[in-house]
Amino acid sequence: MWAVPGVLFFVFFAVAPMVLAVYLSFTTWNGLGNPKPVGLANWQKLLHDSRLTQSLTVTVLLTVTSWAFQTVVSLLLGVWAAGRQRNRAVLSAIFFVPFLLSSTAIALLFYALLDPNFGVIHQDTLGSTSGAFLAIVFVGGWQFIPFHTLIYQGGARQIPEVLYQAAAIDGAGRYRQFFSITLPQLRNTATTSSVLMIVGSLTYFETVLILTQGGPGTDTAILPYLMYEAGFKSYDFGYASAIATFLVVIATALSLVLVRLTGFGAMRSTREGM
Amino acid sequence: MLFMDPNTSNGGRTFSRRWVLGAGATTLLTTGLTACGSSDSTGDSGTVTAFVYGDDAVKVQVKAVTRFNASAAAKKAKGKIKLEKVPGAEYPAKLRTAMGSPNAPDVFFNWGGGSIKAYQEANQLVDLTDTIKSDPVLSGGFLPSVLAAGALKGKNYGIPMRGMQPVILFYNKTVFAAHKLQPPTTWAGLLDINKKLKAAGITPFALGGADIWPELMWLEYLVDRIGGPSVFDKIKNGDASGWGDPAVLKAAETVKQLIDDGAFGKGFSSVSYVNGGAPAVFAKGKAAMHLMGSWEYSTQLGKFPDFAKSNLGWFAFPKYEGGAGDIRNVVGNPTNYWSVNARTGNKDAAIAFLRDCASEAYAKDLVANGDIPTTSNAEKLLDSSPNPEFAKFQYQLVQQAPAFTLSWDQAVDPDVSTPMLTEINKLFVGKSSPEQFVAALKGLK
Amino acid sequence: MPEQPTRRRRHWTRRPNPVAGLGSLLWLAVVIVPIYAMISASLTRQDKALGNNALKPPTDPTFANYNTVLHNGFGHFLANTALVAAAVVGIVLVLCVPLAYVAVRTRTVWSSAAFRLFLMGVAIPAQAVVVPLYLMIAKLDLYDSLLAVILPTAAFAMPVSVLILTGTLRDISEDLYEAMALDGASATRMLFQLVIPMTKGGISTVVIYAALQAWNGFLFPLIFTQSDGPRVLTLGLFNYVSQFGVNIPALLASVVLSGIPIFAVYLVARRALVGGLMGVGGK
Repeated sequence: MWAVPGVLFFVFFAVAPMVLAVYLSFTTWNGLGNPKPVGLANWQKLLHDSRLTQSLTVTVLLTVTSWAFQTVVSLLLGVWAAGRQRNRAVLSAIFFVPFLLSSTAIALLFYALLDPNFGVIHQDTLGSTSGAFLAIVFVGGWQFIPFHTLIYQGGARQIPEVLYQAAAIDGAGRYRQFFSITLPQLRNTATTSSVLMIVGSLTYFETVLILTQGGPGTDTAILPYLMYEAGFKSYDFGYASAIATFLVVIATALSLVLVRLTGFGAMRSTREGM
Repeated sequence: MLFMDPNTSNGGRTFSRRWVLGAGATTLLTTGLTACGSSDSTGDSGTVTAFVYGDDAVKVQVKAVTRFNASAAAKKAKGKIKLEKVPGAEYPAKLRTAMGSPNAPDVFFNWGGGSIKAYQEANQLVDLTDTIKSDPVLSGGFLPSVLAAGALKGKNYGIPMRGMQPVILFYNKTVFAAHKLQPPTTWAGLLDINKKLKAAGITPFALGGADIWPELMWLEYLVDRIGGPSVFDKIKNGDASGWGDPAVLKAAETVKQLIDDGAFGKGFSSVSYVNGGAPAVFAKGKAAMHLMGSWEYSTQLGKFPDFAKSNLGWFAFPKYEGGAGDIRNVVGNPTNYWSVNARTGNKDAAIAFLRDCASEAYAKDLVANGDIPTTSNAEKLLDSSPNPEFAKFQYQLVQQAPAFTLSWDQAVDPDVSTPMLTEINKLFVGKSSPEQFVAALKGLK
Repeated sequence: MPEQPTRRRRHWTRRPNPVAGLGSLLWLAVVIVPIYAMISASLTRQDKALGNNALKPPTDPTFANYNTVLHNGFGHFLANTALVAAAVVGIVLVLCVPLAYVAVRTRTVWSSAAFRLFLMGVAIPAQAVVVPLYLMIAKLDLYDSLLAVILPTAAFAMPVSVLILTGTLRDISEDLYEAMALDGASATRMLFQLVIPMTKGGISTVVIYAALQAWNGFLFPLIFTQSDGPRVLTLGLFNYVSQFGVNIPALLASVVLSGIPIFAVYLVARRALVGGLMGVGGK
């Protein structure tokens, strides 16, 4: 069985830690010595933690805002870039450049540019709640829009030319063509891109760590950051594991919904259906 | 369809062969990495790894290591020290993860008190009480109060290794002179100065709010000046109801008033001390004063030497009218300590290295760096300090202080300290009112 | 909309579109301005950076900041990242190609269960497992080594890789397998002579995807390594924040430098890179 090494490797380094996280959520452990069982204490704390509610709200808000921002821009740019004109090709090549930098590098770049004393905008952008929130959305978009533009560009290029020719004969203008042909034809591309965006935005950890450290106050402390803080600042690894387990449950639920919506699982039967 | 390749293409056989070779090479590489990955762990006979907080002051420890490694003591103990400079902001987390792994340091920098309690409880610290008692170099070498401050329940786990670090109000002499101002001794006097500075378009205080602990210093002093040192003593001993003392609320209200009056400027919550933002704002005269630990002097000496030498002034935190706290009370860190990991492979070398901290050469290096050593014979060395005036001010400040309150974030457990800092930050950025602040702190256990 | 002779229009998108053109120029500014400010500031002398607007070109450009970065372990961090990327790509390919082959070619309960496992795996955020992984890595005595970064990074790159590969593998027609089976080819021979050559596109997508995971990886190195030895580039950059402190020009120089190697790859192999990434998105 050739699949065995791969499955074992994945089980050991990804599935087992998840199981271990569930176990640790029922223990108290400060990183030294061995974890000690404490029953439901961490989960009770989780239920009553007002910071968790706030964090969940911020996480959802950040995910939705990022999704909307990135989808609109990527869709428009992608469809535009699908045209074969020379200037579009040149600009697309430039548009891709931000994606070449690592998330850390990008976060540092904006950390420097947003510094009130050294940067471009001499304002306390990160000190206000909306400023910090929008900065994270913008920085995430700046990094990932190039990638999603590419996906939409690929999608748009696969729309059969005849559809447009037919529409043009019917006298449909550019904007009607966009809404009645391009958008519906890009439905599958949009779901793929959205899945990647939503799963991806759960991981804006380094952006938050570098730009805002969850601040001002606790206003941008997304779930992964809250977990990091509980674990690696308060050394309450048991509670951190409870938050982590909660995060996995949410992510899994989200992905199940997305799988149902997008027919992800239908991959199995592509060939059989032919 | 999701995740499908758009350009499925046919390829030649050469590809597969190259690929197999590549995969083989990677496997070899991986095996090789395992071998070197775990080579530098604890327990190697000779080397003693020492973790140190990697800031500007680390050069004193670098010199000490060089001196020790060449010394007869090192040869006798058959060990050499390898210094690991851990970048500042992440130091406590790095130390914790390393201490929980087989690659733990043998000797490590810490703040005493709450910062080492967990290690002591996990039996990871060498009890140095007897070592110190039986060794005149160590027992007589340090100020007893400082040595005691690094102890837990009467047992010593740390040797002082940096200068004393009281928190002091620094001021920019150029700015004060330009606006004909004198260092104040009362709170009302301070507010008066603030008014004049703001009228001149200068921010009264630099504040590295992004790090949060510089904000903490304001509360530490205000609570002391308003309610006296006993208020925090109660909290430190685990009584969260101590946060309900009226002095805490009054201090929080005073802070809010300062912020509302623009005493820290507008952008303070994204200015950092650790990255040098706040010191730069202060040195360049954009802000007139800076409440900071005494290390501010070494920091400025490293970053803006001209400013540090001629234009940096200092004074004690003013008295609060009607408050219970003495103007001579000090808050801050007595010093930093080296502690020894109980699992070290070469305890003799580690302790021999620690003895160097009591040496005159070490104390001289500290003095040269602008620090005040906590060694018992330090006073006579202060004349050779780059700034004897500052050195003596500091020494006397600490010597005469009726109370020295340890920084709150170091005095309490890390699991209280983190939420406490979060609440302080919320107060400073206006996310919670003084009343909400007090209520939240009372809920911390 | 006035009636136009459709025959003259060669392609609908060839007509200039002023609104879209304007929008794209706007986005161009969004992309270019930060990059320009970064490069300009990285060439500014440190003592002139405070209070200076990074949008103004430096009056007295200097490469001193780049020198500072290069003398602070940059090359070493870059080499570590390259090593991690190579190892992650290697592990992912060695494990995922046979896995995807089995998932597509066999119809057992086990292979389908394995496939579902990876399908669910797509949603596991790597952050969720750092605490238990840290515990495991400490027990395995891998703490503070490159392997501590490589192994989990590879594991978390597997789910998407498996999905990409199974997607491509399904496009190989049944006839080809049957033809090879008639020739008496073993499963191994089929893998090397049919599957791998035919899924080159998918494999290159996986290579890019896995390398990207290693290139972007931050949390695993942050928690699982400590010393200079196994420090990767992302962590090196992060540490420059406290190391360089107020020296923002040097910090930005390090960001510029970190982009140069991959920018070079982009210049040389833009088509492959872009094509491979489009593969992550699918058709």
